[in-house]
Amino acid sequence: MRAAWRAAVFFFGLGRRAKRTKVFFALGLVPVLLSLLFRMRHALSIAPRGFSGEFFYSNVILPFYVQFLVLMLALFFGTSVVLEEVEGRTLAYLLTRPLSRPAAVLGKFAASAGHALAVLNIGLFGSFLILKIERAGDPSAWLSVARDSAVLDLSLLCYLSLFTLMGTFVKRAIFFGLLFCFGWENVIAFFPGLTQKLAIAHYVKSLIPQPPGQTFSFLRLMLEPSPPLFAVLILAGLTVVFLAAAGLVFSQKEYVTEN
Amino acid sequence: MSIREKGYHRWDGRLEERRRGWKPIARLGIRLAFKRKHFKFAFSLSFLPAFVFLAGIYLSERLQDFEGIVRKGAMPLRVVPGYFLSYLTADFVLFMTVVLLIFCAAGLVADDLKHNALQLYFARPLAKRDYVLGKAAVVMFFVLLLTLVPGLLLVVFKIVFSGSFGLLRDHPGLPLAIVVYSAAAAVFFASYSLLLSSLSRNRRTASFLIFGIYVFSDMLAEILRGIFRTPYVGLVSVKTNLKLAAAPLFGTKPVLEVPSVYAFVVLAAVVAAGAWVMNRRIRGVTIIK
Amino acid sequence: MTPVIQTRKLSKWYGNILGLSEVSLEIGPGITGLLGPNGAGKSTLMKLLTGQLKPSLGRVLLAGEGVWNNPALFRRIGYCPEHDSFYEDTTGRQFLDGLLRLHGFGAAEAARRTESALRLVEIWGDENRLIRGYSRGMRQRLKVAQALAHDPEILILDEPLNGLDPLGKRKIIRLIKELKAGNRTILVSSHVLPEVEALTRDIRLLHQGKIIAAGDIHDIRDLIDAHPHVVALRCDRPRKLAARLMEEPHVLKVHFGPDGLLTLETDNRDLFFGGLPALVVELDLEIEEITSPDDNLQAVFDYLVGK
Repeated sequence: MRAAWRAAVFFFGLGRRAKRTKVFFALGLVPVLLSLLFRMRHALSIAPRGFSGEFFYSNVILPFYVQFLVLMLALFFGTSVVLEEVEGRTLAYLLTRPLSRPAAVLGKFAASAGHALAVLNIGLFGSFLILKIERAGDPSAWLSVARDSAVLDLSLLCYLSLFTLMGTFVKRAIFFGLLFCFGWENVIAFFPGLTQKLAIAHYVKSLIPQPPGQTFSFLRLMLEPSPPLFAVLILAGLTVVFLAAAGLVFSQKEYVTEN
Repeated sequence: MSIREKGYHRWDGRLEERRRGWKPIARLGIRLAFKRKHFKFAFSLSFLPAFVFLAGIYLSERLQDFEGIVRKGAMPLRVVPGYFLSYLTADFVLFMTVVLLIFCAAGLVADDLKHNALQLYFARPLAKRDYVLGKAAVVMFFVLLLTLVPGLLLVVFKIVFSGSFGLLRDHPGLPLAIVVYSAAAAVFFASYSLLLSSLSRNRRTASFLIFGIYVFSDMLAEILRGIFRTPYVGLVSVKTNLKLAAAPLFGTKPVLEVPSVYAFVVLAAVVAAGAWVMNRRIRGVTIIK
Repeated sequence: MTPVIQTRKLSKWYGNILGLSEVSLEIGPGITGLLGPNGAGKSTLMKLLTGQLKPSLGRVLLAGEGVWNNPALFRRIGYCPEHDSFYEDTTGRQFLDGLLRLHGFGAAEAARRTESALRLVEIWGDENRLIRGYSRGMRQRLKVAQALAHDPEILILDEPLNGLDPLGKRKIIRLIKELKAGNRTILVSSHVLPEVEALTRDIRLLHQGKIIAAGDIHDIRDLIDAHPHVVALRCDRPRKLAARLMEEPHVLKVHFGPDGLLTLETDNRDLFFGGLPALVVELDLEIEEITSPDDNLQAVFDYLVGK
């Protein structure tokens, strides 16, 4: 564990300096920007009936995270964990340190998770403050956003571990990741009963309150939810399983750089 | 002993301008795309809508054969210009175009930047224009294969299945509309993908940007429409712009109540941005500060 | 004496491509050169020795221990990779400090070692510049620095002199020679014979995945020198030069080509090149070009394997 911590500190420092982290921080601020736009629009004219800040938060901002931002963050940071080292040919530096291979993966995963979670939560809490400022003194509102944050964090960790695993053995992990996120996860959501439980998105959506309106077509959730505790256990369990598998694959696989 | 100075001999021949310098670059790019793992699968899959629309044309001509299974009073399938437009701007076709771009376009400039290969290109009698044209030709080739070729073939099949030139008689501008839209889409996607590919040295980042911006722009348009309640925010979406720009060419109603010229302006702006960024990023010499 | 680096019938395949075939090595303290042309399997061997690759057959032992998935062993090993790859967004100092922290050194110790290693490779002064702005020589020296910063007993350096200018090469050669003190075991690979010659007398010759010779470089040199070398010269009076050269016992035959080209064979290259300048002055010749078509390692190996 200490070795993994050392790796995490090392990669967190590297990630902090990387351009892509800055780009993702900018992307993470999109929900804040949208919330600001919404507020401005509200201030300048009469908003449509029922279209309050609260409505916008749960009908637009949350689904935007669930269906786009979490996936994108997880996909990019997750596939980078191993592939970045292989493509950049820096793996040799890592593999020739007194660091077990699973610890290296776990450490870099933790560093990536640190960045991704920061991007996610800054935007989420920023949006919350802008959209629900009237309820800033209400502890239940904070409790609600904390719950949303916990759900999104858990889902991010689950996807991140899946894409970390993908990156350990598939070269074109981005392609397969995109197919998984925007193909499989979307298609399977339209199937009834147990079939839709074969998607991670199913458990994530089971944990967030369903939007009352269907104002935006892309937010449609075809959901027969699972019990919340079950969903949490599945997401946490999958995270552990994917990470363990990533560590295992990485410790057994050879990465041959092309000359 | 005299030591002869090493130097260059004066060449007295005539230097003829090579006008097709882009061709080998394009050929290589296309060949490499087909060599990529899983590309052939994605490429084949992208023709699925073409076969569905072809089946539609067949059905439209042979409805009497299916009377038994067709609901009474069902609207007969009308193969008019809008039908071809539906194919060309179908969500799946556009989605698969973007997926193909991940394979064939993401690394076009990014890989060259990563491996410092630009100086190798420009050490040959090759202008920046040839380089960009060659790379763009790779993207255009695949986009045209997905749009122009099936579009024109669908027209041909309609004529063959109907046994008359009625379609062309009623809509003489249809083939030209298909050609113009396909060419515009090819130029747009070439600029879009090369712009994003030249922003990064990493193919994975470029793939991510190509796909992410396409999906994100569509989502953003929907959200902004919710906030501002105006169809004009649809101009943020890549997909909507393509659909809007195509509508007047085929004489159909646009998907949004927005003049199509705005969509043309947005698409042209992306092309201009692509040209500008590439002009800045593609250099034989990189100065590292 | 127990060898520090030991391989037993070590083989490695990449699919159906043979990378290394039944290599058995025993290397003790001191500098050992691993010499072979490009594609001979040097990097494969070095990656196997550093546990980056798993042997298809055979064993690798470093200090008596297996190396694959044995992270503790890397406290004692320093590896300089062949590829010119770094975490480019970091400075030389951050890069080295970060890698030392991965070794488990505390902040102060890592900083001290970073400074000491960077001073040793003469990068101190540029330590706060981004690596992407470093020259080729600095990058190469930084790679060496990261290999030795944790003070390992075993140093495995894959082509450390690759792509360096003569001055840069001299610096690295001096550095590696200095590192020999302290009973370190250093394995250096190269495809350039004089480079290895400048470093050590103890060499292993690797060709097509096999060790074809091992021992003192002078013995191997003698073996090589027993074969005639081809030298091509282009001058204004090739016949005059040929007549004079044929008087020398080490010149075996001459051949006249177009445009003043003279190709000759000698069984003592050093003697031939030693005497040539005097001959050129004596005959007042105008030499345009001297090439040695077979003066490369591949040709040397071809001789040795009897091609």
